Amino acid sequence: MKDAGKWITDAKPTYTALIDQEHLVSKLYNMVNVPTGVWINEQGRIVRPNEVAFVDERFKKFTGLDPAPYLNAVRDWAEKGEKSAYVMSEDQLQQKLAPPDPNIAMASAEFGLGEQLYKSGHVAEAIPHFKEAQRLNPKSWNYKRQAYALSSEKDYGTTFLDEVQKAGGSKVYYAPPDLPKTAETQEKKQ
Amino acid sequence: MKVSLSCGIFLLLLLATLPAVAKEIHATVVYDDRATEINPAQSPDGTGQLWITTADLTRSTRFEVKPQGVCRDELCFPLPTARHAEFLRKESGKEWFNLTGFADLVHQPVARDAGLSTWYFGLRSEQRQKLASQQAPDFTLPDIDGKMHSLSDFRGKKVLLVTWASW
Repeated sequence: MKDAGKWITDAKPTYTALIDQEHLVSKLYNMVNVPTGVWINEQGRIVRPNEVAFVDERFKKFTGLDPAPYLNAVRDWAEKGEKSAYVMSEDQLQQKLAPPDPNIAMASAEFGLGEQLYKSGHVAEAIPHFKEAQRLNPKSWNYKRQAYALSSEKDYGTTFLDEVQKAGGSKVYYAPPDLPKTAETQEKKQ
Repeated sequence: MKVSLSCGIFLLLLLATLPAVAKEIHATVVYDDRATEINPAQSPDGTGQLWITTADLTRSTRFEVKPQGVCRDELCFPLPTARHAEFLRKESGKEWFNLTGFADLVHQPVARDAGLSTWYFGLRSEQRQKLASQQAPDFTLPDIDGKMHSLSDFRGKKVLLVTWASW
């Protein structure tokens, strides 16, 4: 609340902004980084699962990602609903929402334990559990960044930027949204 | 001298026939991200298992032992009849439940900090399967004023769910 609250107060959002101290949404949706977006239709069904969801250009230099195609896709879905070309097919959804291997679930439990120990004042005791979560799910940037933020990168013998370099650099740090090339975007290119 | 020796032997024999009583400990159980202090709990040496009373089971997890299984609201997990003793036992006038054994039964990951006697229970298998059904998992979280909102409150509207962090 203390950390996230000031951002919400300053931004004065017109949409609902919630505070997730336990990382519940990341746990339920298997998210590994921020910003992550999920599209959910009127019946509560996922029509586009986890993907990077930048809504402005402030990190464009770092990531090389242009937010415009994603925002256009969101607008298209808002207007056309299930008829939008960006709504994923049944096959795509089944592939992307397949249950992860048991290590991912165990990583989530180790991370949860680390968070619990940190909250109860056992900062040093939390570190081995955060490390274990990172080992079991090395694709989770959430686990790395949250752990670094709660103590120090020194406790982990690395830095965020070193980890980004190890992963291939900031331009591949985020996989770009897997957006189909619609007739409209093809026309714009010509 | 003869009498006291006989008493000593008798006592030793009596102790040898009593069932092993597990040492009672203080434990912290984190279930659904909510921590509950449990005292007494039992964790037989070297097993990593956690036994708590059935009263503490309900207090820490909201699950209850019923004739049809271990239940919470509409959810019920039957205990395999042939393995009943793995999950429940009566001792010291209390009924004890093997919470880590139950986690194993429902394919729930458990992380433990032995030094701090803390057990964290992750998402059960049926919770993890929810995503594959393509139904968005529901959650309830506070806004900055503490007002609670559930994803299901937005049924009938499209929802763009975006997460961010203040790192």
